[in-house]
Amino acid sequence: MASTYVKSITGLLAAGALLMGATAATAADRVKIEWWYAISGKLGDTVQQLISDFNKSQDKYEVVGTFKGNYEETMAAMVAAYRVNQQPAILQSAERGFMTMLNSGAIIPVDQLMAKQGYKTDWNDFIKPVAGFYIVNGKPAALPFNSSTPILWYNADAFKAAGFDAPSDTWQGLEKQLYALKEKKITDCSMALPGDFQWSLIENYSAINNYPFATKANGYAGLDTEFVYNKTGVVGQVARLKKWVDDGVLKIAGQGVAPISLFTSGTCATIINSTASHSGVEADAKFKWSAAVMPHEEGADVRNGTIGGASLWAVKGKSEEVQAGVAAFFNFVAQPATQEWWSKATGYVPVTNAAYQKMKAEGYFKDHPTREIALEQLSRGEPTDNSRGFRFGNHNQSTAILIEEIQAVWTGKKTPQEALDSSVKRGNEILRQYEKLHAGK
Amino acid sequence: MPANNAIMTKNEGAATRPRLPLRRSLGSLVRPSEAGLKASHFRRPWLAAGLLAPQLLILLFFFFIPTWKALSLAFVQVDPFGGTMIFVGLDNFTTLFSSPEYRDSAILTLWFTVVQCIATLVIAGLLAFATDNVLRGRAIYKGVILLPYAIAPAISGVLWAFLFNPTVGPLAQMLHELGFAWDPNRRPFDALLLVSVAAVWKHVCYDYIFLVAAFLAVPASVMEAAAIDGARPVRRFLTVTLPMAAPTIFFLIVMNFVYGLFETFGIIDTVTRGGPAGSTNTLVYKVYQDGFRQLDLGSSAAQSVILMAIAVLFTFLQFRAVERKVNYQV
Repeated sequence: MASTYVKSITGLLAAGALLMGATAATAADRVKIEWWYAISGKLGDTVQQLISDFNKSQDKYEVVGTFKGNYEETMAAMVAAYRVNQQPAILQSAERGFMTMLNSGAIIPVDQLMAKQGYKTDWNDFIKPVAGFYIVNGKPAALPFNSSTPILWYNADAFKAAGFDAPSDTWQGLEKQLYALKEKKITDCSMALPGDFQWSLIENYSAINNYPFATKANGYAGLDTEFVYNKTGVVGQVARLKKWVDDGVLKIAGQGVAPISLFTSGTCATIINSTASHSGVEADAKFKWSAAVMPHEEGADVRNGTIGGASLWAVKGKSEEVQAGVAAFFNFVAQPATQEWWSKATGYVPVTNAAYQKMKAEGYFKDHPTREIALEQLSRGEPTDNSRGFRFGNHNQSTAILIEEIQAVWTGKKTPQEALDSSVKRGNEILRQYEKLHAGK
Repeated sequence: MPANNAIMTKNEGAATRPRLPLRRSLGSLVRPSEAGLKASHFRRPWLAAGLLAPQLLILLFFFFIPTWKALSLAFVQVDPFGGTMIFVGLDNFTTLFSSPEYRDSAILTLWFTVVQCIATLVIAGLLAFATDNVLRGRAIYKGVILLPYAIAPAISGVLWAFLFNPTVGPLAQMLHELGFAWDPNRRPFDALLLVSVAAVWKHVCYDYIFLVAAFLAVPASVMEAAAIDGARPVRRFLTVTLPMAAPTIFFLIVMNFVYGLFETFGIIDTVTRGGPAGSTNTLVYKVYQDGFRQLDLGSSAAQSVILMAIAVLFTFLQFRAVERKVNYQV
């Protein structure tokens, strides 16, 4: 462990020294472009690599990337900075913050920025699930960057030992397998609860099974949307998870431990986690692992899952030359070659058809079949109002409430129905507050 | 620096005045009357202002401006980016007072603060009492007890969280083997206990230093007299040392309350993040959660105004009690 740190630190230093040597002459003349991002670990290293590649590719601009904590922390930092005019030029913001950013009045829509700076970007080439979320009235408000979806990771050795070839594609079948893993004492725990379980096990669950999460097409058709997930199969899903937790089948990692490490260390046999875990799992898991699409309910009208991850926003209030630099960087990021490299290095899905087709033509997915699972899951069936995605103002707030209420189910303080009723009621107050503040937008 | 530039008492002032013959005639015309001034005062207002300035600036930036910001946000609902703002009067406060989550948080905070305060004092008191009876290695003993104070709250929090993590924590495994169903992720009481223990552990050293000093300050003559009267160490401690340390203990009670209310943020953030289901979400942590993570600035500002009122109340209580002097003169 320590030696990897040392290696990566010396590697960074060496890269930094090279970079400094190469650009020392021009560093002073370069326009600095500040970028705040929110992904860390191996993904963070890849971001720094992307930045250094861009800086080496030209000599007018220098992108300076700063890790500002997770998505919520980065957003909070942005808000605080914007109010005192210290904002970065580029912000990486999660899909959950999409509406908040869109209506913030603090951004330049990416298509306007690119057109003004003279770039011709093909906005019709995004793969369907990405376009379905990020394109508003035919145009993207932000540049789709790291797009993911949760998939089912499993320990193939453990499954084989229990006599299964692969995980079942229904929750009912998976339940039997997880209980079998426990009864046969093959692993200590059958499944780890991901840190962002509300995204995978609740929201994506709802979309995949084609249940409505909220009225007005999950917020796509208006700010007067209301949550309704307390009246759908989500209630049964929470009850199922509660039963699994009580029976010791589903483990909550808790503070101080990353849930994915319970999977990669072999403690838990499965986890439903982002496809972006690829780089981490590939490096850390010392057993035969694989992945599959998320299960669905028996007899469900199965649809696509929803997109997660984040996009890049051009922030208002920067000089013309900084804006030009932002556009140059966005243009660099949007190149099929960059997209392909990024997707391979991280596990995020390629966001354009060009990059996807290129990877396919090379036979990349033949060699790395698990890399295509997210795309498969995102493309199942024709998208409906229930599966296209979620557009809620202040979605971070209603998410925090949902998590808190579901924790009350884990503790036994509330039944699944009580918790979700309360979560919907409190969440709707957030939606009404947002509607009041943004009437007419 | 000449004497007349420094703080002076009236007597000194009178003595130095004749040394300024040039200013006397003019000065007597413009100098305001000194009648009614306290015995100790500044002759020159700019010097006083200059000496006060650093402190006033600190207050301005770290108290008055934030207070003004909090007050100005507490009565509005606002888009986080500041684009739209709607005046809502007392809505933020009425929503809070009618919210069961806020009430739960208030009750929890009270429980947590009181338990933490008492536990810290009792443990620190026992350790300080024992200090007197440790003959060899007293320095090591003191050093070990003071160590936790040198560890940053976030770091100690991460350690506590890891050691007692039900899936991987070694101490949690030990508890499981002893037959306890320890799980702070699912059992609110376990989470609260863990946070309380971590908070007490971190603060015991603070109380300990003060108590050791207070116990040392008890005059030997009184202790000897008690010993001659036949009082054993425990009895001497309870009937002589403790009452004589009362002012320190009272001070520590106030400090422990302030610590429990306002300074346990780092520990809660790293050990439980306020969970599960808000069971360790104290008032201060809730301000942070609602304001900085969920960006509900109006509600968060209203909460900090309430906290400020509590802090003012505490300061008031403390001053009143100090005025009355919880003290036993020898």
